[in-house]
Amino acid sequence: MLLKNTYNEFVKILAKPRSYLGIGALTLLIGVILFAMKADGSSFISFVTQSFEQTLSFNGNILNGNLIAFIILQMLIIHIPLLIALVTGDLISGEAAMGTIRMLATKPISRTQIVLSKFIAGAVYTLIITVWMGFLALIVAKWIFGSGDLIVLNSDGLVILQEADIFWRYAMAFLVAFLSLLTVSSLSITLSAFADNSIGPIVSTMAIIILFSIIGSLDVSVFDHIKPFLFTTHMASWRSFFNDPVPMARIYESIVVLVAHNVVLIALAIFRFNKKDITA
Amino acid sequence: MKTIFTLLIGFLTFSISAQDATVLLDKVVARMNSVKDYSVDAHIKADIPLIKVLPVNATLYFKQKDKFKVVSKGIAILPKQGFTDVNALLAKKNSYMAVDGGTKQIGGVNANLVTVIPTVENSEFVLAKLWIDPKKEVILQSEITTRSSGTVLVDYKYGDQIEFGLPSTITFTVDVKKFKMPKSVAADMHNTDDKAKKKDERKNGTIIITLSDYKVNKGISDDFFKDVKKKD
Repeated sequence: MLLKNTYNEFVKILAKPRSYLGIGALTLLIGVILFAMKADGSSFISFVTQSFEQTLSFNGNILNGNLIAFIILQMLIIHIPLLIALVTGDLISGEAAMGTIRMLATKPISRTQIVLSKFIAGAVYTLIITVWMGFLALIVAKWIFGSGDLIVLNSDGLVILQEADIFWRYAMAFLVAFLSLLTVSSLSITLSAFADNSIGPIVSTMAIIILFSIIGSLDVSVFDHIKPFLFTTHMASWRSFFNDPVPMARIYESIVVLVAHNVVLIALAIFRFNKKDITA
Repeated sequence: MKTIFTLLIGFLTFSISAQDATVLLDKVVARMNSVKDYSVDAHIKADIPLIKVLPVNATLYFKQKDKFKVVSKGIAILPKQGFTDVNALLAKKNSYMAVDGGTKQIGGVNANLVTVIPTVENSEFVLAKLWIDPKKEVILQSEITTRSSGTVLVDYKYGDQIEFGLPSTITFTVDVKKFKMPKSVAADMHNTDDKAKKKDERKNGTIIITLSDYKVNKGISDDFFKDVKKKD
């Protein structure tokens, strides 16, 4: 019954035009970045390497598909949560707004399973967005710019990773990026369980992400104890796969925090939906 | 009278030492000029503060007097100065003067120091110190100071291509004091470990290039170098 309802939920997602808005916006954004890099990518590179280039020369195909994928991932990981929340923030509250939630609750399926099916459908949508981003960022960028070593600018210097050592890093990075976006999806579905309109959970999700990101970026000691527990702190942990050596302990910590957020948010949504007085 | 005599002796000594230095340098330049072009396989190992990079294999191409190209599958880091600059400077005989600067032991060889001072105004070169093996007539060490790149110290070791003055190993010591990370790009707000990290405070980096399989004077077309960016 859970799977059947999940399928129904996914069909509902596919039936909404806003679901395609996210994929369309993502395609457009990546298209713009690819065009910009093709037109004037070398000046972007020289901005990164300019302080080194007085003394050193970097030879080889620096502006390649691997670097473009990294730039795309870095730029879009901040914006994609909005595209995810636009769809997932509507999953429960949208039913309440349209009045279909009462009919849904009359089905021979528990309320817990209804919520779980919405979470799974939301996860599938998030996965599609992540895979699509991966396809455009990595496959299309490599097709346009070719392949090569990856030059990454970290806070402690430049890291140059050899081409043969990159694919597994991207595979793992996209998995962790998916987990980060899944947390956003879970947050918006949970907020959706508390609301009766679509806009509230979507705006609230983005407000929370912006607030947490600002707290994370403020170099003030009063927030030092909170930062490790904010999911936004761990949303960029995909980037750690491009360090050398890879800080696995830090990545595991991020995975634990993100999974814990998902579990707590799903539990909270189930609790709330089970207690919800469905009158509309 | 005594002062004039001392000045005369000093001037004569300077002239003789400058002559010796010029003669030695001319021999080195003649050896360099015997190479019209070459290609060579290079194994590049860079140990530079703020840059993590594994050794890279590349092929280097050179054609007199200053055409240079690196072909590499991966990203190869090379010093901006040091490969063709000595050739380019020494090719114009009227643009510099050579002064004898004494001797120094380098790897058991009593090397002569020849200081090359540019005589043209606004030259990119400020000074080049060349330690030359007077018997084999090859450069063992150089210290080149330019306006844009600071000072680059280069050590040369020779193998079977010594007859052309082509080294088998070149070690560059580059000044990295000017290296700065662009904050807006480097800022990784999710990296909470930065405060604890000990920064690499070294002021010099080294690039060791091992050269093998020279192909000398086989002829390389000028067109081959056309896509190479001109140096600033």
